[in-house]
Amino acid sequence: MHMFQFDTLSMVFTALIFLGVIPNLFYSHGYLPHIERKAHYQLHYFAFVISMIGVVVSANALMFLLFWELMSLTSWQLILTEAKEKKTIDAASFYFIMTHFGFVFLLLFFLIVSDGDLEMGFSAMHTVSMKFAYPTLLFFFLLLGFLSKAGAVPLHVWLPYAHPEAPSPVSALMSGVMLKVAIYGMFRFLFDVLYPWPLEWGIVILVIGALSSLVGVLYALSEHDIKALLANHSIENIGIILMGFGMGMIFESMHLQVLSSFAFIAALFHTFNHMSFKSLLFMGAGSVLHQTHTKNIEKYGGLIKSMPVTALTFLLASISISALPPTNGFLSEWMIFQSMLSSSHLDNMSLKLAIPFAIFALAMTGGLAIACFVKAYGITFLGLHRSSNAKYAHEVNGLMRTGMLLMAAVVISLMLFTPFYIGWFDKVLVQAGHLSAYAKIFPEGIWHMHSAGMHGGVVSPLILLAALIGITGLMMFAYRALRVKERIHRTWGCGYRTSAKTQYTATGFAGPIRRFFNWLYKPDEHFVKETVAGHKSKFSTSHYEVHVTPLFEKTLYRSVSKAANAISYWVYRLAHFEQTRYAAMIFNLMLLVLFSYRIFAHTFSWATFVLEGIVMIISIKVLIIGEKR
Amino acid sequence: MTAYVLTIVFLLLLAPLLLSFIKMIKMILLFKKPVSIFQGYRNFSKLMEKETIISEESSSMTRYAPFLVLSPLLVTMFFLPPVVQGAFYVSFVDAFTITGLISLSTFFLMLLGLDSASAFGGMGSSREAFIAALVEPAMVLTIFSVSMMAGDLGVGQAGVNLAAHFPKEHMASFLFAGISFYILLLAENGRIPIDNPETHLELTMVHEAMILDLTGIYLALVESASSVKFVIFASLFVSLFVPFGLEYAAPVAGFLFVLKLFAVALSVAILEVSTAKLRLFKVPNLLGIAIVFAFLSLITFYVLGA
Repeated sequence: MHMFQFDTLSMVFTALIFLGVIPNLFYSHGYLPHIERKAHYQLHYFAFVISMIGVVVSANALMFLLFWELMSLTSWQLILTEAKEKKTIDAASFYFIMTHFGFVFLLLFFLIVSDGDLEMGFSAMHTVSMKFAYPTLLFFFLLLGFLSKAGAVPLHVWLPYAHPEAPSPVSALMSGVMLKVAIYGMFRFLFDVLYPWPLEWGIVILVIGALSSLVGVLYALSEHDIKALLANHSIENIGIILMGFGMGMIFESMHLQVLSSFAFIAALFHTFNHMSFKSLLFMGAGSVLHQTHTKNIEKYGGLIKSMPVTALTFLLASISISALPPTNGFLSEWMIFQSMLSSSHLDNMSLKLAIPFAIFALAMTGGLAIACFVKAYGITFLGLHRSSNAKYAHEVNGLMRTGMLLMAAVVISLMLFTPFYIGWFDKVLVQAGHLSAYAKIFPEGIWHMHSAGMHGGVVSPLILLAALIGITGLMMFAYRALRVKERIHRTWGCGYRTSAKTQYTATGFAGPIRRFFNWLYKPDEHFVKETVAGHKSKFSTSHYEVHVTPLFEKTLYRSVSKAANAISYWVYRLAHFEQTRYAAMIFNLMLLVLFSYRIFAHTFSWATFVLEGIVMIISIKVLIIGEKR
Repeated sequence: MTAYVLTIVFLLLLAPLLLSFIKMIKMILLFKKPVSIFQGYRNFSKLMEKETIISEESSSMTRYAPFLVLSPLLVTMFFLPPVVQGAFYVSFVDAFTITGLISLSTFFLMLLGLDSASAFGGMGSSREAFIAALVEPAMVLTIFSVSMMAGDLGVGQAGVNLAAHFPKEHMASFLFAGISFYILLLAENGRIPIDNPETHLELTMVHEAMILDLTGIYLALVESASSVKFVIFASLFVSLFVPFGLEYAAPVAGFLFVLKLFAVALSVAILEVSTAKLRLFKVPNLLGIAIVFAFLSLITFYVLGA
């Protein structure tokens, strides 16, 4: 029995965890003085890190489930580190329920594929799963198990609650690293256990990815809590990763091996990139939150002046997450785009016509992400201080700064050493028995990245970076050389005196987009206006606030809980009736069983169906509900 | 190589001329006394001489962003398709990267708008973000479609391929993609009906609102960025959708190219005179048309051809 395994896939994800954790250790240590329950925090923090490493190196179902559960429990406790408000406790219980919802399906999956022997290795499970009659059922167990952790639509609802409530180093770790462990699970079990994939599975993942990315970015835009905004972006990025993953599966099932490897490499690369920039963003948000004691973006402003290191690293991460060249975020999104453009190689017409819609979703996501990060960065760091808390903010302590700078170094290393990382991801696929795509991506040295498809694009990140820096530097040098007279003075604000209150707010910034997507958001608007002497247009004070409740939560989750409530209330009311009603209920249930048996087992005829329906309704009405009092 | 460098320098020099040309045509059509076609250069030199005033509220972003608005566009200039035959072109950047570089420039422009804490800047940025978010998908889909017809995603190679062999069998797809791209050209450059470049009325402005607080060289940088952007879009339009004349001798081909650029400018001017600016919330309808045409182009390509 092997307890641990150290193949390339495990090692790649171990490296991901280390890259995410080491800067986080510094940051977490700098953050520690602000946490009351230090021992509780430290204990669970390290247990959390160890459990994540345990998950990615475990070699059998028992170890996997043990570490997986440890990971869930420690992260749940970490959310509860500063459990002062009811909101935190609610978020933690929501997370607890969602993570165990997923766990149940993982357990079911393992019980089926391990044939009762939980200490079986993963490759042995493959033979068991091959014999299983309904592999799609196993696939859906995997999806429910891992995607509830990764936060893909429609199981994403816990993220915007849980991440903001955790201490910032923990949110960085949860969003940056823990979600990726779930992606590891997808890779591991789809490759090792459920290998020959039907075409439909890939399409399912592609659709989930496209939906997640759009839903994530749209709700991020309407969010004013900076950490909830970032949590929503995690949903988006998981969606992007899943799009790459889904394309890989589609190409694989259409026997386009190199393209499939290319798409999987893109997904892995984006997994790494999202780890780097999202950790950095959460750290920056944590620093800002720590200085201003509020998560509301509307209360920030002008922090670039007092917190330059945070502002600079946050800017780097913002550019990267918005997928702007020449950053690493751009490169991985470019690869995912390229793999989708290679869909012209498919010889399935309906797929060919459908994949442009996924391209549309990804492009739309990109555009909205730019808008969202202009909002997040601009409102937080630029302009004037929007509250006195922001006014007295100053740069965070050295350890936290070190953490952010180290993470920025990880972002930059992913940008500069792309070929090295891609070579590594390529090995993962080769080891899993797929074709190598490295030679296709870098056919002429490390300078140019090529698409694996025909007529694909080329990009050379380093040359682009050098050109951008060179040209900007030249222009700035020329500006210095010209010795232009500079004066700092009040500029003309169209006659208004510029003050913190006249600036654009985050609500206002997202206004046009929110209004355009009003049909989706259905926001609760709070508009209070003190009018003067009955004039509609003259008012002394006014206050405007918008809150958006995610649609999925409103429809899927709340209506399910409402239905459960209604049914249980009805049963509860029945329980207060006398025994004759119970007898009547049993009678009716028997009628129902007999009638349905008749309808389904014998020849179906509408006449008997209607007749028996009427008999049922009458007996329920007379015997159970009785007369209205 | 010389031809390559000359083309870039020439296009840079041409940039202010095209925008002044549009203005001139518009004024002629409105029976006004037209501005000189060289007004762009005059403005530029005037701004270069002025002292730079930086608003009190702004941060270091205002000092860096104008350079970062211009430099991605200048980098893009190096990747445009060749104008004359045999001219060297850089083939290692594809159309996606160009979209990305343009977005990078817009990103910093939007931050610049938010930096000076004036309500106008924020308003401009907010509107620009709204429009840019909707432009992105149309742009990517159009690029996808054109790249398949041209047989290459790199715009340099695509321009050459199309000039050498124009796929007449895909004329319908081409037309749809062309319409889509033309709308994007208007949207990205802030022309009527998306944005009015000549107004300073808070109801209508988008681009101007973001740069209200800039002066001197910073303003010159951002203004040249917008003219460079127009040249980029116009020459992309010309070399991808009207790809004829590359086979002639260099001077003729160059002259034809400039003629086509001016034709695009003329069409923009005529369109600007004959339409009104759309309300901001009607802009998505126009961009929606662009998106639909991009899809149509792809679908006709797949269904009819290939």
